[in-house]
Amino acid sequence: VTAPRRLDAPTGLRPGDHVCWTYADAADLSAAVLAFLDEGRRLREQLLLIGSSGPELLRTLAALPGRDDMLAGGQLRVQSTAEAYAAGGELSPTGQVDAYRRLVAEALERGHTGLRVAADITALVRRGPDARRQLHHYEQLADAMMATVPMTALCLYDASLTAGVLGPVTLLHPVQHADEREALAHLSGRGPSLSLHGEVDVTQADDLFHALVDVACAGPGEVVLDLSGLRFLDVAGARALARATQVLRAADVHLRMGRVPRVAARCLGLFGLGGGATVPA
Amino acid sequence: VTVVRPTGDWDGTGFAHEAFAFSADQELLDRLAPFVLEGLSRGEPVLVVAGARVRTLLTEELGADVARLTRFAAAETWWRGGHPTLHAYDRELRALHAVAPSWRLAAEPTWLARDDGREWSRFEAVANRCYASLPYYSLCLHDRQRLPVAVLDAVARTHPLTWGNCAPVPEPAYEDPERFLRSVHPAWGRRPSWASVAALTTPREARRAVAAAALDWWPARVGEVVQAAHELVVNALRVAAFAEVSSWTDGDTLVVEVADAGPGLPDETLGYVPPSDGPDGARGMWLAWSLADDAAVDSSPAGTAVRLFFHR
Repeated sequence: VTAPRRLDAPTGLRPGDHVCWTYADAADLSAAVLAFLDEGRRLREQLLLIGSSGPELLRTLAALPGRDDMLAGGQLRVQSTAEAYAAGGELSPTGQVDAYRRLVAEALERGHTGLRVAADITALVRRGPDARRQLHHYEQLADAMMATVPMTALCLYDASLTAGVLGPVTLLHPVQHADEREALAHLSGRGPSLSLHGEVDVTQADDLFHALVDVACAGPGEVVLDLSGLRFLDVAGARALARATQVLRAADVHLRMGRVPRVAARCLGLFGLGGGATVPA
Repeated sequence: VTVVRPTGDWDGTGFAHEAFAFSADQELLDRLAPFVLEGLSRGEPVLVVAGARVRTLLTEELGADVARLTRFAAAETWWRGGHPTLHAYDRELRALHAVAPSWRLAAEPTWLARDDGREWSRFEAVANRCYASLPYYSLCLHDRQRLPVAVLDAVARTHPLTWGNCAPVPEPAYEDPERFLRSVHPAWGRRPSWASVAALTTPREARRAVAAAALDWWPARVGEVVQAAHELVVNALRVAAFAEVSSWTDGDTLVVEVADAGPGLPDETLGYVPPSDGPDGARGMWLAWSLADDAAVDSSPAGTAVRLFFHR
């Protein structure tokens, strides 16, 4: 697992890549989806586009080379967000991940090289805080799953969603495209434990708190957060970790910081976290 | 016959902070022994942290009562630099506060005799404010034979009480903590013309700018410089649209200045106030001050500028 990566164009992607992509309007969305799916077409992947409604999706795909043939032959499929993610009324994080696993297996059986999904998830986050908590848990499970199967995903979010909604979701993706912003931090579920990567400062502290609590509260028991991938942590970021630890403890989840680098130990020590020294001599 | 009242009117509900400077053995014992015995007779935890001379004298004087002290420790091993020393001290205080309604401490900060220990007077000054509600009497012992006049002067200016032969009395030289800090911080000169200056609107940009400056100066301390400056920038961006970050070297010293046009710092002492127990409460200035070798503040209703000094 590496530091989060900022992506300027939705191409050059390979199985395992899990991208958070914010779009400004329908034209912006369409441009991203077309480039992303066309690359998958050339890689002979199974393509799936998920969005608000079927007819609108087909319009989005109008300029995709080979669209009609791929639709007829089954290489390209479209689904509405409600149909794909919340058939039972609400998103089931583990059920959804299992569903994607099955789709990947089917794609491989049909001779494709993998599954490539572009999914506009905006409608799900608009359902309120409970739905967002489920979505955070799902994004983390999906990210971990994508490390193990040939699946490439472009998760699309309307850029007009508030920063408080987009922030935690962005953090849960290793590849990010959000406005002009640099990708700073990533909370990953790939590997033996949860891990935090990149730079965490005051600008993502609240996002980290929400994402971490929602992801870890699936406990109970001990949840290790590996910090060895952190290149910077400030007081606000450490405070977010301290608050998350406190909130999770009330839910019987013991969050433990693992492999704390020196750059993080300074601030964690100020909150009695990390078990290390307080400030360097 | 004069009645000695070792803690005067102190009622055990707040902080009392006395400096007692001594020369002769008997002079010390006449002050210290009644202070300790009064605490023991009142059932208060009594802590003594002192240098070898004071410990030896007190051991002879108290005899078996030494065993009744809650803590009887050598001060010589306590010094780890100002911030780490106060942080460790602060943790002991909080632990004691959780179990004892009040207590008393006789402490001899022997490190004031060291060049690098003189900054301790700043913490002594700020303690008057940040420990105001802690219920203990701190009798600070200072050996005139070991300490230079300038240190004894700072001691008087940072302790509101002194010994008046039969009871503690107000120290006439005592100063407000902020005034004391301003007098001991590096003088606020003009920023040199060769300083690099940038107006920045995000902490991330500031980190990149400061890292570049620190790399040119001394790569080994880049991490500390960036972390310290970052916290100041975060504070500046809380009260202003942008932070002006400048840096320059003065001989071997790197100076980083963070300035904002906000309403001014409400409390200039926070760089010396240890973190509170829970996740809330400010820590940025404490961290910045602890990473830097020195700091200075220029704050007014028109804005705040903070300088951090790093020695190579």
